[in-house]
Amino acid sequence: MNLLSSTLAEPQSFSPWEKLLLVALIVASAGLFWRRFGPILKRILNSKKDPNFRLSPVAKRVWDFFWEVLCQAKVIRERPLPGLAHAFVFWGFCAFALVTLNHLATGFGVGFLYPQGLIGRFYFYLAAAFAIACAAGILGLFVRRFFVRPRWLGEKVSYESGFIALLIFLLMVTYLASFAVTDSSPAARILWWAHTLSLLVFLPIIPHTKHLHLVLSPATIFLSRGGFSKIPPLVGDEDFGLVTGTDLTQLVSLQAYSCVECGRCSEHCPATNTGKELNPKEIILGLRGYLNEFGPSSQETLIGKFNSMTADFQCTTCGSCEYQCPVGIEHLPIIIGLRRGAVNTGTWEDDHGAKLFLALERGSNALGMGALERDKFVQKQAFPIFDGTQEYCLWLGCMGGYDPKGREIIADFARVMNYLGTSYGVLRKEKCTGDPVRRLGNDLLFQQLAESNLEALAQNKVKRIVSICPHCVRTIQEDWKEFGTPPEIEHHSEFLARFADKLPKQTTNGKPSEKIAYHDPCYLGRYRNVYEEPRAVAGLAGEVVEAPRSHERSFCCGAGGGLVFLGEETGDRVSHTRAKELVATGASTIGTACPFCNTMFRDALSATGQPAPQLLDIAQLTARGLPDANAAIGRTAPGGSTRE
Amino acid sequence: MSGVYVVLEDRGGRISRISWEAVAAANILAAQSGTKANAIVIGAQTEALAKEAATKGVAKVVRIEHPLLAQYTPDGFTAALEQFIRAESPNYIVFPHSYQVRDYAPALAARLGRVLIGDVTAIGGLTAASNGPIFTRQLMQGRLSGNYKSAGTGPAFISVQSGAFRADAPETSAAETTTFTPTIDATQIRTKPGEPFRGAAQTVDLGSAQLIVAVGRGIKEADNLPLVQDLATAIGAEIAASRPICDNGWLPIERQVGSSGQTVAPKLYLAVGISGAIQHLVGMKGAQCIVAINKDAEAPIFEVADYGIVGDLFEVVPALTEAVKATKQ
Amino acid sequence: MKIIVAIKQVPERDAQVRIDSSGKWIEETDLQYAMNESDAYALEEALQLKEKHGAEVVVLSAGPERAGTTIREALAKGADRAIHVEADSLHQHDALGAAQLLAAAVKPESPDLILTGLQSDDLGYGQTGVIMAELLGLPHASLILHVEKTDTGLTVKRELEEGWFQNIDLPLPALLMIQSGGTKLRYATLMGIKKAKTKEFRKIAATDLGHPNEPTAVLEKITLPQKQKSTQIISGSPKEAAATLVEKLKFEVRVI
Repeated sequence: MNLLSSTLAEPQSFSPWEKLLLVALIVASAGLFWRRFGPILKRILNSKKDPNFRLSPVAKRVWDFFWEVLCQAKVIRERPLPGLAHAFVFWGFCAFALVTLNHLATGFGVGFLYPQGLIGRFYFYLAAAFAIACAAGILGLFVRRFFVRPRWLGEKVSYESGFIALLIFLLMVTYLASFAVTDSSPAARILWWAHTLSLLVFLPIIPHTKHLHLVLSPATIFLSRGGFSKIPPLVGDEDFGLVTGTDLTQLVSLQAYSCVECGRCSEHCPATNTGKELNPKEIILGLRGYLNEFGPSSQETLIGKFNSMTADFQCTTCGSCEYQCPVGIEHLPIIIGLRRGAVNTGTWEDDHGAKLFLALERGSNALGMGALERDKFVQKQAFPIFDGTQEYCLWLGCMGGYDPKGREIIADFARVMNYLGTSYGVLRKEKCTGDPVRRLGNDLLFQQLAESNLEALAQNKVKRIVSICPHCVRTIQEDWKEFGTPPEIEHHSEFLARFADKLPKQTTNGKPSEKIAYHDPCYLGRYRNVYEEPRAVAGLAGEVVEAPRSHERSFCCGAGGGLVFLGEETGDRVSHTRAKELVATGASTIGTACPFCNTMFRDALSATGQPAPQLLDIAQLTARGLPDANAAIGRTAPGGSTRE
Repeated sequence: MSGVYVVLEDRGGRISRISWEAVAAANILAAQSGTKANAIVIGAQTEALAKEAATKGVAKVVRIEHPLLAQYTPDGFTAALEQFIRAESPNYIVFPHSYQVRDYAPALAARLGRVLIGDVTAIGGLTAASNGPIFTRQLMQGRLSGNYKSAGTGPAFISVQSGAFRADAPETSAAETTTFTPTIDATQIRTKPGEPFRGAAQTVDLGSAQLIVAVGRGIKEADNLPLVQDLATAIGAEIAASRPICDNGWLPIERQVGSSGQTVAPKLYLAVGISGAIQHLVGMKGAQCIVAINKDAEAPIFEVADYGIVGDLFEVVPALTEAVKATKQ
Repeated sequence: MKIIVAIKQVPERDAQVRIDSSGKWIEETDLQYAMNESDAYALEEALQLKEKHGAEVVVLSAGPERAGTTIREALAKGADRAIHVEADSLHQHDALGAAQLLAAAVKPESPDLILTGLQSDDLGYGQTGVIMAELLGLPHASLILHVEKTDTGLTVKRELEEGWFQNIDLPLPALLMIQSGGTKLRYATLMGIKKAKTKEFRKIAATDLGHPNEPTAVLEKITLPQKQKSTQIISGSPKEAAATLVEKLKFEVRVI
């Protein structure tokens, strides 16, 4: 049999009984599909409308659709081999669209693609190529799920996945086998019916399983909120976040039903990886469970049977989950929404959390320190006070203003700015940007802080801010938008990178002085897409080496989401886990770009007990290369030991 | 209207130490008219108290005695003193600024149409040029000082801060003693006080400890802890620790001070071998007085400390323990 | 049960304060204000009694217009209604004058229990509650850490010096001055603030409450304290340094 000369065999005629049977099966299949899918669609549509949702700019949505759905970019990028296998299955489905239609049409004698004709032949050959890839893909995925058994797919063996894999495989095999038989043979008829049955059994199963994503995820991706960790504003006097089913919006419900249970989110979650209760996949599936049992009009609290408050408050908001999700689920607004529901109603009772909120109710910073302390620091360093004439307002932040290590970073950055001749000033008074309370869901406090700060900045005529803290940068640039127009702000790595050619390069005998393992902060990397600038800056001080998980896969230091203020954690410490990974690179210095990462690693490194690598912010790395480096405090040469 | 009176407070049958400081302050006022202050002791049985007071540099001792004054109650003490003051019309009544005084002296003054100038840290303006004494007290939690004067007619009520005035040396000759019996009815006493008791001894409550000695990684090994424990015992302080010490299991987690442990606000926080990382600082920055002992002059703890010793804790701490013991004898 | 909680809005703790041009008060521009700390504990104690026994909690405060923010915070945390005695320059009254104002506002309410904080973070007299009790003829107790309702009135836990405590029984109506730290404070919530919008907020001009006495304890002048808070590094050999430190702890800090 010459493959190239064989064509697709189609039974030429069907008896009236067969046609009747076909109609009945199609009706039954579609009916069963709708019986299950209809209510799901209804639940999604009956959910609260998303306030502030805009379809425009459509161009971005179309691009995301093209890139993430059609090109399967995220699916492949995050897990290349299985991702590619899945892509083949998906492309196979796409290619088969016309095949399937024609197949059914043939049953009624109105097939429109002629296997002998040029177009039909070409198309069927094309589909055959995809069928082979698809069959190979589904076989590979089957083996992976049932024999390799990666951790992230869960402990339980999923029989439904196996069955569906079988159906898909059957669909492809019956199609390919049809090239090997003739139109009139009984085999052709058998293959035809096998293919049809596989199809019509598959259809109603879709809404019963996670394969619902076939139908929903293209819509989910197209209809995303836009942006990353986009927290919707509260609307009206009765809106406190996600409290009951009535607070679940259409987007949230759509996302809950789109979950494929692939476990990519859990795989990268710092909480899940350190033995905590929180598992992002379970949060989403929990919402699905809630919707199935209670529906979107229920007054039952979301936290309860299907969601754990403990888990909700173990999230560092690092964003690995949302970043990775191939079907467009936005975990962060959901988790923060659940937190809001608990905090805004006072249901969350946590000693450390209350302490943080009370400190910001009564004072100006998250650490509960007296404002006088910041004043003393500013006076001691003789920083110029911002008066509207300088180019930049240097924002100290809570860490930069009160934490000894944060202060060193500020002092060194100021030194670099002086060297570069940049004019800057610091504000006489600063209030916390509100990042921790924002991520913990305290909208009352956040609004107070944002409005107060915006007013002060406007009064002081601040136009441009530079900050050493990615949390401040994010909160000021994005979250404050809800209450006004914040000034421009950039992170000090972006500032320094612009002047990289003016800053001294530190070498020993013409070679880089040392190896520096750079850690991507969550709020700079995933949140802001700033990866190369800090590396360019660190590269001036030594050779930058990468941790196994870097760039958008960087593993959180554990401080974010307000967690650094919440006291002791259960399980392994996130900071220790990441610190070990950075130390294992063999670098003599760990480079950071966030004062929280810095403080977390400082703790973690001093707990190892052994001589640990140095820990320096990129500002400190830069400053040590300046001509007057010896005048600086706390200076240690490359390869020196830590101060602890 | 004449005379300076000072109300002495007793605890467990003996006059409290702070009362003698009040005597010293009262004598400063009395010196204006070339006299000494008169002491008042209050209670149900005041003979022993009066005897103790008589040799402490006072002109006279008044025993205000009544069975209903056996236990302190604001109603009892206010009624008794009110009657005495109306009878004697003194210029000044001086109190130690103790918890007990804060509980009744304001009511007593109000009953006489006056106001207590409380928690005084200095008495000035005693020259002829100045128009009456100036009483200094702290405002804004010690950030500012206020100068107060007593106006109008009637006795001036003053209470003095613990440690602001140094008690005089006792004299040898005993002052005369008189007795004053107030008229008090049992129905006037509206509150019923119970017996004093200690907080639960088993559980560590650092949050209410007034004196804390905290130890950090500078101690190097668990075997060295007794060094610091001796100091704590000598001072009468609770022991606390920074996180690494508790992580290592050298001290129980209840003794951890810091962001993931306890927050404390004692009168004295003595940090031994603690560098002062922010996670620790946020737990103890509320202390009124912070003393740091660390061998690293650059340690961040020195930035928040009121007093610091840059030195080897293995030498400084034993020396400190000895010095504290010596001063308490 | 009707509980009145008297609170005061004071300058934020730990912020820099400057003396104003008259030398008799502080410069108020640029200051952040917050609820007095021990008053927050008094409010918390009242709210816990309300949750346990059912009560109406009325928050009372005397102060200028800006005090309204702090009063609303108390409403947001759970108080049922508020009375704002509008008075500027409260600091010109002595403790008796302030207590007279508040007592005049309290009298028509006939509460079962009045709670105040132990002392204010600004003037720090610590007397207002005691004097109010005297003016209203109520039994009182101060430095209270815990309040229990009993059949005959209240049993309260009072703090004594040096780690001792005492229980006191007293009848209602009564006044208590609450010490900080006896319980855990609750944070203000968005839901609380929204609910507070509809709660009764009554304003009374201080002048309508009669004239307090002229001050007899007169604040004549405000100065910077002699010693600024800066780190004193004690030098010398370990023995010398130890001796110096003990001296300072005994006489300057007065803790030994």
